[in-house]
Amino acid sequence: MSDNQPNSKAYHYLPTMSRRDSLKWLSVLAASAVLPGVVACTPNSTSITSSVVGHWPDLKLTPISSVGYGKDPNLIIPPRSAWPRTLNAEQLTLVAMLSDILVPRDGDIPSASEVNVPDVIDEWVSAPYERQQNDRPNILNTLAWIDDEAALRFGQKFVALKTEQQFAIMDDIAYQTEQTPSEFSRIAGAFSVFRQLVLAAFFCSPQGTKEIGYLGNVPIAGDYPGPSDEALAHLDEILNKLGLSDYVYTEQS
Amino acid sequence: MALLKHDVIIVGSGAGGAMAAYELTKAGIQVLLLEAGRDYDPLTETPMFHRNADAPLLGSGNVDKDFGFYDATVDGGWTVPDEPYTSAEGSDFMWWRSRMLGGRTNHWGRYSLRFSEHDFKGKSRDGLGADWPFEYKDIAPWYDKTEALVGVCGTNTGLDDMPDSAPGVLQPPPKPRIPELLVAAAAKKLGIPLAPMHRAVLTQPLDNRAKCFYASPCGRGCSIGAAFQTTTSLLPMAKATGKLEVITNAMVRAIDTNAEGKVTGLSYIDKTTATEHKLSARVVILAASACESARLLLNSKSPKHPQGLANSSKQVGRNLMDSTGAGIGAQIPLLRNRPRYNEDGHTANHLFVPWWGHEAQARGELNFPRGYHFEIGSGFSAPGSWVSGNFQGYGKALKDEAKANYGASVSFALRGEMLPNDDCYMEIDDQVSDKWGIPVAKFHWRWSQHEINQVAHGLQTAKDILTTMGAEVGELPEPEKAILKGGQIIHEVGTTRMGESPQDSVTNQWGQTWDCANLFVMDAGVFASNPHKNCTLTIMTLAMRNANWLAGQIQQGVL
Repeated sequence: MSDNQPNSKAYHYLPTMSRRDSLKWLSVLAASAVLPGVVACTPNSTSITSSVVGHWPDLKLTPISSVGYGKDPNLIIPPRSAWPRTLNAEQLTLVAMLSDILVPRDGDIPSASEVNVPDVIDEWVSAPYERQQNDRPNILNTLAWIDDEAALRFGQKFVALKTEQQFAIMDDIAYQTEQTPSEFSRIAGAFSVFRQLVLAAFFCSPQGTKEIGYLGNVPIAGDYPGPSDEALAHLDEILNKLGLSDYVYTEQS
Repeated sequence: MALLKHDVIIVGSGAGGAMAAYELTKAGIQVLLLEAGRDYDPLTETPMFHRNADAPLLGSGNVDKDFGFYDATVDGGWTVPDEPYTSAEGSDFMWWRSRMLGGRTNHWGRYSLRFSEHDFKGKSRDGLGADWPFEYKDIAPWYDKTEALVGVCGTNTGLDDMPDSAPGVLQPPPKPRIPELLVAAAAKKLGIPLAPMHRAVLTQPLDNRAKCFYASPCGRGCSIGAAFQTTTSLLPMAKATGKLEVITNAMVRAIDTNAEGKVTGLSYIDKTTATEHKLSARVVILAASACESARLLLNSKSPKHPQGLANSSKQVGRNLMDSTGAGIGAQIPLLRNRPRYNEDGHTANHLFVPWWGHEAQARGELNFPRGYHFEIGSGFSAPGSWVSGNFQGYGKALKDEAKANYGASVSFALRGEMLPNDDCYMEIDDQVSDKWGIPVAKFHWRWSQHEINQVAHGLQTAKDILTTMGAEVGELPEPEKAILKGGQIIHEVGTTRMGESPQDSVTNQWGQTWDCANLFVMDAGVFASNPHKNCTLTIMTLAMRNANWLAGQIQQGVL
């Protein structure tokens, strides 16, 4: 695994933010003592149904009350901070660390946190819209669950764990299959929501877009050139494998 | 004839209204056009090349911007602030509106397929719905003129579902892309042809509009004018005649009539001041969209027109139709990790699946009467808020899996013809008014078995094609669950249908209401049926033909 894995207590994710945001953020930080801790999540108190075993933070989240950007936002200069961000410093740092476990630095290709994925997550969970509000409890409970689990298993917050301890937890929650032990099935589902969003935010970044191989959004002066020779040759292989070589498309009359 | 400042007032600046304005002003007639939304300038307001990452929430859609942050729609979508609509209990209808100059033409899909004689005469063939009051050959030359003016790319295929355009009318289509070519081969094996989609996108320059540069999704609008919208073409051209005046933020409340029941003008609310104004005109044309125009007629009651204006047939608001919609997709394992290239093209279908079942239907082999087509979802699209795949794990293996999946999924979107039925209509909700005090539309909706059977056939066909492409599709959903909601395809038509007789239709073949000779409808309300082929090209073609006829009536002093 990556040597760059940030796992010291000194690590803090630094979001891209204005000074005004920073000041607001500091006041949030001061109030963040209410971050859910181990006390609130003994296994017995948090079982949701009889089929669910294991602990669950079951955070009592205050609904997002801010308004959206409206039905006529400026599309040329999109609003940068349409609503207040809600993740505190500790949560953002955990998001950054988890993002980098999901998408670590890969040679010259940056990790998720290096392309500001945590900022996108913060914007997302803080947004007033339905899709984001549905994701919010999944993501915030995931963060709380992971710290709870880290504390239960190793007596520390996740970010303070040794790399192999972090991966031990990841290995339990990052796979959602029929074999997933029941105590991890719920967190595996919630974690997959977080993973999907981290991937989306990563590939939307300029470096991520390059990494996935999107080559469009550039103006073409002449006719659309169509598929490359390599792509056409690959299609021929596919058609051959599928027994479709006799059915190659030709334009009508 | 010049007693009035404006000979004609048009309500609505979208496909029908702008085309009518263009045709009338070209004939020297003074036109005033009212638009309920704000002014809109595609040149300065279109987010060309903007990346999803630059938008809030990776550009994803929500209640403010239903089709994503960059969608061109202004002050609209499935909801319009302060302008609600209602649905009857058990009815689930969705109504897309926009409140901007150019209306929905700023964001539409630009798919531009002609209706055929087969489409216009469905009732003569199977006894269902209604025939149109003209034949294909009457309108064919107007399709040619409209396609040439709008700029449509595609080819003459000779397929029975796709009438040919006159030579030289269509612009060349762009080359097909890999997933489309794979679909074409798989479908061909099943006896189903694919064809170049006809799209109102320039592949060659036209007038002062540039050709497509194959980037930036058309739904955002097109600042270079390659993708057709009235705000870069018909409206500036009509304005250039010096005969067109436009008032935006003008919400028409009612059409005014005199004691004889003749239309004298209309009353509108200036949304910027919330004040009401009256305008008079020789002729009024409604082109506010099928349901907005019908709403206006039903809200324009008078002693001479107690059931609403132009509603002696009681057909205003009836015969509401949308296209059927359903979708199914799968990952194609052999498309995983395929070679990358720029697959944007003109950002929509280069190939599609036209309806191939005319003969099977004629032989009685199908359990539904009307056709459908498939639009294909595929491609190396710009990264957005969702990454395709069922992911496990983390680290480089996770990223590699996402990269392998990229561009490897293919989906089929069914768009089919529905028949009018007694359960699908709109009326005025006398309990609810909008911000301007205007009673709102109330929708009633229920699909019939015809549409359910059609969707079942489409899902099975799409599954067969996907399976032939090597995909695992799994069990199909029930068609009753798979069919999308009424209105959701945004092809709502039929609420002021045209016909041969004042007894069962609202207008004649010229869009002239039977009850008021100087009142016309030139939006999709006049459609007598709703062929599966997307309504906008035919809205524009009818508006051109009928505005041309109207110009003749005015010039001859008949109106």
